[in-house]
Parts: sequence; C-alpha cells; structure tokens
Amino acid sequence: MKGFEYVSAKDARHAIALLAEYGPKAKILAGGTDLLVELKSVPEAPPAVIDITRAEDMKGIKVTDRGLVIGALATHSEIMSSPEIRERYPALVDAAHSIGAIQTRSLGTLGGNLVTAVPSLDSGPVLVALEALVTIAGPAGSREIPLAEFFVGPRRNALKAGELLVDIVIPRKNLGKPAGFQKFGLRKGQALALVNTGASFWLDPVKKVFVEPCIALGAVAPVVIRAPKAEAYLAGKKVTPEAMAEAGRIAAGEAKPISDHRASADYRRDLIAVLTRRSLEGALAVAERNQMESGK
Amino acid sequence: MTDVVLRVNGKERKASVPPETTLLQLLREHLGLTGSKLGCDVGDCGACTVIVDGLAVNACLMLAGQVEGREVLTIEGLATRDRLHPIQRAFEERAALQCGFCGPGSIMSAKALLDENLDPTVLEIRDALSGNLCRCTGYTKMIDAIQDAARELREEKAALAVR
Repeated sequence: MKGFEYVSAKDARHAIALLAEYGPKAKILAGGTDLLVELKSVPEAPPAVIDITRAEDMKGIKVTDRGLVIGALATHSEIMSSPEIRERYPALVDAAHSIGAIQTRSLGTLGGNLVTAVPSLDSGPVLVALEALVTIAGPAGSREIPLAEFFVGPRRNALKAGELLVDIVIPRKNLGKPAGFQKFGLRKGQALALVNTGASFWLDPVKKVFVEPCIALGAVAPVVIRAPKAEAYLAGKKVTPEAMAEAGRIAAGEAKPISDHRASADYRRDLIAVLTRRSLEGALAVAERNQMESGK
Repeated sequence: MTDVVLRVNGKERKASVPPETTLLQLLREHLGLTGSKLGCDVGDCGACTVIVDGLAVNACLMLAGQVEGREVLTIEGLATRDRLHPIQRAFEERAALQCGFCGPGSIMSAKALLDENLDPTVLEIRDALSGNLCRCTGYTKMIDAIQDAARELREEKAALAVR
C-alpha cells in the first residue's frame, strides 16, 4: 500500500471533525474488508485513513423510541448473534450470514456494506423491505433519509463530502414485521449474489391476507429496488402459495437485470420469481411463528 | 509512524511501523512470526487467518494501528514446547494438509470455531472453513480432523470438570 496518515477517531463527532480536517479525499476505515482491498490497488494514496473502529457511539444494536437502531459499526457477526435481531428478524441474520466468510463477517460492518452501495449488497433487500432509514451526520448536524434513497447508483451513495453514516433504523411501525431473505450465488461461501431478495408483510390474523407487503430486489438494477406492482398485487389478497408465486412472476418483470460473466439477464429474471416467492414464504413462516407464540 | 502495543500469543509486543502496515506485515516482517501466510492479500484465501479478541479475521485486511491494545493469537501460539495443540495433532494424524500453505489459516479458523462451539456439526465446520481456500485436500480430511479435535477437547473439558 502507498503511504498515508492513520488517525483513529474516538467517536462520531471526532470522525466528522477529522473528515473536515483532512478533506474529501480522506477515507473512513470501518471494517476495512473493502477499503484495504481498494487501497492496495489505487495509484494514489488518500491523505489520511480515519479509523472509526473505536467509535463506541456507532456500535450497538438496541430498541429505542425510534425503532430498532443498528449502529453503523455493528459487524455482520454481531448482527447474527444479536438477541434483538434474532428474535425479530431471522431474515437479517440470514442476510448477514450470507456475506463473505467468517473472517469477513468478523470485521465487515453493516454501515460499510451499505456505504459501498454495490448493487448486489446482501444487507440491502431486507432492510429496504422493512423501510429502514439511515442517519447521516455531518458538520451541519444530522439528517435521516430512507435507505432506499441512500443508494444513488452502482457504488454511489447519498453521502456528501464530510458526512458519515451513523446508524440504520428499522422504524417503530415495522418492529417485528415478519420478513424473509433469499440469495442465490454460485457458491455458498465468498460469493456475490446473482440475485438477492427481501420481503416483508403483516399477516392479518383473522382474514389471513397480506397487509403492507414490501418486496425488495438486489443485484438486478443499479440500486436495490422495490417491486411496487407485485406489492400492489398482494395487498389485501389471501395468503396462498399461488399468490406468492404470482407476486414473484410480477416482480421479475419489474427489474432490469444485466447479463454478465456470472449469469444472463434471463436467468436472473427466473431467479427473481423463485427467490421472491421464497422470501414471502420465509416471511410467512415468521408471521405464523409469531402468531402461534402470541396465542399461547 | 504508528506506534502499537498489543499482546501476541499472550506476550506484550511493541512496534513502530509505517501507518499503511497491515497486521499481517506487522506479524511477519516486524515481529518475526511467519506462520501466518500471505496468499491473496485481499481477504479471499484465508491463509493469513489469525484470532483477534476471539474472532477469526484476515490479518491482511487490518491495519497495525487497529490492533493497538488488542489480543492476537497466531498459529505460533497454539503448541507448547512439547505438545501440539489437539487441532494441530488431529490435522497431522488425519493427513489433513498436503502442501500445507493454507494450514495455519485453516487451523486458526478451526480454533476460533472450537473456542465457541465444542460440538460443531459438519455444516458448522464447513461454514467455519468457507473462508479458507485449500487446493490440495478437498477439505474432507480437515473436517474429519476438526471433529477428532473437538472430541478430544470435549473429553479434556469433561475430565477437568470431574476433578
């Protein structure tokens, strides 16, 4: 690696001050699983690498009056073992588990995964399907935007110069909303998704219909996208295997997958239909478990 | 320069290194611990796997400054003067390595797994090894070896509990 200055931030506010001091070319080091790879191949080193791994105020996973708040520095391993997440969102555990291998998950952070904004990022679909928000802090204060708007394009996010992603919030209205995640890669470990999907809905306990269905698709457009036609089709409809399969077929028509060396666009469209259906089935399993437990 | 003080294999170590030094370079080039291997240098192959504060990580993807004050365990920290660690012995007995280059990393991944879970399923073992590329063995014998080591470590633990 080319030489750079290494500075360690003690909290988010300190990191923002350091970003202002070193300018827009300074790099934030969170998990480092993408940044160090990048720094090993860039022709010019950044003026500084700002290590935020010791910023305790950006860690932690807790329920507050905002909803479920996940610090940007929560690692994929921490998400997998968090009781707050495990009991509410098995889909987030599955998504975290599908990233890289154990070594990547020990270091890699949720915030880092989102900031890289690669179209196939595995943290994206479930969080978008749960209408997550992100908190962005900067010199002028902080702002909150929907995660879906944080993704601007392939490898492009909504952070402006000097800003930092601080936390990710699943809003209170979606606390415990049943969700499912599916990913298809060419191998089990260390594989990028050809397609990944997230789905969430509330199951009406009496009428057994879909309430507020949300479907999100990854790796099939420049950013993680919702499937509004499939969602509209499901809303208020009786929960049946046929309805879930049809939603998958509709969702397949809403994406713009590309053909590349890993898979053709046609293959990806077929995957969307199957994975969307399975994500809905996953959400249904959680919904039924929840209703059984609350019925006890 | 970045000054770091950390514990490596139970001993306090100090070094003053250029800021862009990775943990792997710190271990190999500054502390003389060449057991951890440099393979891909981008976090794919796992040959540099070490345990930092209980977690298996790729040493090529951490900067030296990040391990200030932390506890690092490398392959050199497993055996004592006259006794291999049960995982190492099981790898030897099962012939779980051929060229051996992935060995230190694979064994450290197994160590991190067994520190958390002394009775892993084959699926859990495969998951734990999914970040360690081995082009010789096909992994089968590694999985056997890790099951052997787990059994031995469970028996050791049971024997200690009886005493």
